[in-house]
Amino acid sequence: MRKYSFRGGIHPLRDTHEGKELTRNKPIREVVAQVVRIPMDMHIGAPSEPIVKKGDRVLIGQKIAEAVGGIGVPVHASVSGTVTEVAAYQMMHKKPSMCITIENDGLEEWVQLAPLGDVETAAADKIIPAVKEAGICGMGGACFPTHIKMSPPAGKVVDTVLLNGAECETFLTADFRLMLEQPERVVNGLRAVMRAMGVKRGIICIEDNKPEAIQAITKAAAGREGVEVGTLKTKYPQGGEKQLIYSVLGREVPAGGLPMDAGVVVLNVGTAAAIADAVIEGKPLISRVTTISGAVAAPDNLLLRIGTLLKDAAEACGGYAKEPGKIFVGGSMTGVCAPNDEASISKANNGLVVFDEKDAQLPDESSCIRCGRCIDACPVWLNPYQMKRDYQLGKLDEMEKKLHVMECVLCGSCSYVCPARQYLTPAFKDAKDIITARRMKQ
Amino acid sequence: MSTNAILYAIAVLGGLGIGFGLLLTLADKVFYVPVDERVVRVREAVAGANCGVCGYPGCDQFAEAVVRGEAPVTGCTPGGGASASALAEIMGLDNVDVEPTVARVRCQGGDGIAKDSFQYQGFKTCRHAMSLSGGPKLCPTACVGLGDCERVCQFDAIRMVNGLSVIDPDKCTACGACITECPNSLIKLLPRAATVTVRCMNTQAPKPANLSCDHACIGCKRCEKACEYDAIHVTNFLAEIDVEKCTLCEACVAVCPKQSITVSK
Repeated sequence: MRKYSFRGGIHPLRDTHEGKELTRNKPIREVVAQVVRIPMDMHIGAPSEPIVKKGDRVLIGQKIAEAVGGIGVPVHASVSGTVTEVAAYQMMHKKPSMCITIENDGLEEWVQLAPLGDVETAAADKIIPAVKEAGICGMGGACFPTHIKMSPPAGKVVDTVLLNGAECETFLTADFRLMLEQPERVVNGLRAVMRAMGVKRGIICIEDNKPEAIQAITKAAAGREGVEVGTLKTKYPQGGEKQLIYSVLGREVPAGGLPMDAGVVVLNVGTAAAIADAVIEGKPLISRVTTISGAVAAPDNLLLRIGTLLKDAAEACGGYAKEPGKIFVGGSMTGVCAPNDEASISKANNGLVVFDEKDAQLPDESSCIRCGRCIDACPVWLNPYQMKRDYQLGKLDEMEKKLHVMECVLCGSCSYVCPARQYLTPAFKDAKDIITARRMKQ
Repeated sequence: MSTNAILYAIAVLGGLGIGFGLLLTLADKVFYVPVDERVVRVREAVAGANCGVCGYPGCDQFAEAVVRGEAPVTGCTPGGGASASALAEIMGLDNVDVEPTVARVRCQGGDGIAKDSFQYQGFKTCRHAMSLSGGPKLCPTACVGLGDCERVCQFDAIRMVNGLSVIDPDKCTACGACITECPNSLIKLLPRAATVTVRCMNTQAPKPANLSCDHACIGCKRCEKACEYDAIHVTNFLAEIDVEKCTLCEACVAVCPKQSITVSK
């Protein structure tokens, strides 16, 4: 079978099966938190506006915050119970996030749902509004509102939907378990998206280190119109949107463009499963599969309610095995470190990786020896060592115009391979932030 | 070797030298470009740091702009009052009065004083540290202490002491480079005479402010009551001194329960 790939990239933790052995064979287990703290700014775009107040009783799936602005999604209660607080908490964002805290009463009462019916027969024009109402946004990590992705502006033609089941990130097995245990949900979600957008071709892309998932999805996809399964080479960042499109379709997303400029929409398999729920059962997005791995007593794949506190998630896996040094929200390559374990699981958190204090230590930076390994590793074909040099010299214009730093996807491959342990990716993130701020000013 | 050969060589080279010398003298006279002598004098009177605070690429361009009348004579902040009056004299303007200013850090939250939210390690720039989860300190406007201002200062006036940026007022030329660099906008350009300053920018509510830093302004308004000159006001849980009205009586310094108001050099 042909294995799709791209130039560059790395294979982190090759000797230990990308760290996935810890949770690979653990079935998804549902854990319902006693208290959930749901942030209003989980998605990209304006934060949602709370419509409940302290003391209100809410049911599961009840809308607790209204979407604001063009790219916003509503937020729903993930447990039934009483709202105990509407206040700002410091999450992973720059500024504190407005959060609604709900205490679970354990009754698990749902609101009245309005399902659209089977994905093959439901009215195609009702699917996108249903996705918006369900509060679905990209569950692979970026949390971009899905209904926006599904409605390309006039003039853009989308001919293929890619479902991203690469899960190239280290340690995480959430998407793998989802594809293995509930392949119908994933395929149904893909069909719903294809019908809503009028697209004839859908490919579910899975890395070759998940043969069981490929088997399960192939079985579930048999006989479904236009659904294919693509095998990817195990490589990081295979799951990056632009890398995935290049690998599978051989198309390049133009510089500064979006996947839809290449005629493609890429969705995470988790998002597809959530879309299937929204269409078939009318359920909003209230829970997600999250891998809890690393220095916890019993690493596991949990089905967690949105807003579960990180410490409760760690507790459900037997607590910390060692004093935690770093808690990555997401995998260890792309994840963001949480400031403390009081932060909560958002719609995009596919994993929680705990490093002990020893692992959390960063090596000291030394001088660049110009070995060029970063150039080999860069999946976007940039020149990291030269960009770092220009960053240090403050030549941001040069970085922007000649070295195209804005195309950097911040995957961290260059930093990973650098023998001098240079802080390459953070420097590029900083440069991108400065240049973005400059462009906003103009 | 005969003596003649040596003399011959000297004569040829000497002759060439004299010939080219005459040619150059001639070229100098023929292709003479008149230079406004005021440009030279202005160039000598400014600070000469090529810092760019005047808005021109360097001191030469600034001097030309001053002589053309495009740049104000007060444009050279590092040069201060001395350069401004010298420039005014050269340009034949009335003597201008420039109030000397100095950059002051409005934070006292060094290591152990402003409490940590998390331990930051890795890429050592304040801007990057501030982009993560609201920054490594509990106070959202605390000095991060990774030295972005120190690196940008051309006059060696900034030092990081116990994780806090400290500006030496004797070396500071008020060029303003650090002011734009600080991600928390903690450094302010204040008149040199205004020595009583609120060294805090925390606008959190009293309770979190109290928890986040030993020297945070909690907005208790004691200073407002103590001031006889209506010069200090608390807005948004933060005291601000009106430098026009302040008489440096230090009454507010005495009553501040958190030592947020200090007397600087």
